[in-house]
Amino acid sequence: MAKTVLITDDTAFMRMTLRNVIEKHGYEVVGEAGDGKEAVELYKELKPDMVTMDITMPRMDGITAIKEIMKIDPNAKIIVCSAMGQKPMVIEALSAGAKDFLVKPFDAERVVESLRKIGA
Amino acid sequence: MNNSARLDFLKELANIGTGHATTALSQMLHGKLFRLVTPDAQMLPFEELAEYIGGLEQIVAGIFIVISGDVKGYMAFLMPYESALLLVELLTGEFDGEELGELERSALQEIGNIMITSYLNALSKMTGLLMIPSIPALAIDMAGAVWQSVLAGAEVTSDVTLIRTEFSAQGKAIEGNIIFLPDEEDFARVARILGLEAE
Repeated sequence: MAKTVLITDDTAFMRMTLRNVIEKHGYEVVGEAGDGKEAVELYKELKPDMVTMDITMPRMDGITAIKEIMKIDPNAKIIVCSAMGQKPMVIEALSAGAKDFLVKPFDAERVVESLRKIGA
Repeated sequence: MNNSARLDFLKELANIGTGHATTALSQMLHGKLFRLVTPDAQMLPFEELAEYIGGLEQIVAGIFIVISGDVKGYMAFLMPYESALLLVELLTGEFDGEELGELERSALQEIGNIMITSYLNALSKMTGLLMIPSIPALAIDMAGAVWQSVLAGAEVTSDVTLIRTEFSAQGKAIEGNIIFLPDEEDFARVARILGLEAE
């Protein structure tokens, strides 16, 4: 069975781009969240194998969402996809529980490589 | 920091930031040729800025970000409307050139976000300071109106930094302008860290 992925990004364009890449490589996108709060809710509901997480978003940012999801499921596999690649932010995301940090824009290969590594 | 040292630093930042941003845009365009023509940095009084980048009447697409963290301020990415349409067309591959829908608008927002954040990431790497971008706001209107509405919150007391870049994709020119309005005290701190100004 294909591994399931929940996409989190506040821009429709980025969600579409990620969905295309992820689906093309044999993963199933089970949901799309437009902010951190929605991601937490959808995580509970869908229990995806992996989550992609933007950082800068309305209502709830990605760092908070990572912490919330980790509380629900300490084994959650979250990959950050953010344009904000500054070191302190990367460290904060990883210590909150994210498994990888991709700086936007990313090439398809890098996304797939991360899904393979994290999802294994 | 005197104006000449500041301008030198900004030119350097323009080079590095534009380099990052160009790589970023090329990646987003999946190998479609996206060559950088010129990065150029200038400092202008706020009132002259809109005039300089094409006049108050010109329709522009502007993406605005508030910066918080160690360096506070405002940053904007402004493009003539035609450049914005061309970028959207290249990015989404299916835009009909008519009205911008949600997907096209969010593509523009993402371009602006990635362009601006590339500069912030470069500056953060050079200084070790954290610069957190807000959610980008997009405005499409006459340049004059865009200035009025979106930058109303910025208290501009000194000259504004303008980094002008030009790209070309598939033989067509795309113009983009980065506007940087850092908090004066924070910017002085950046300058000190980079050794541009004595303690």
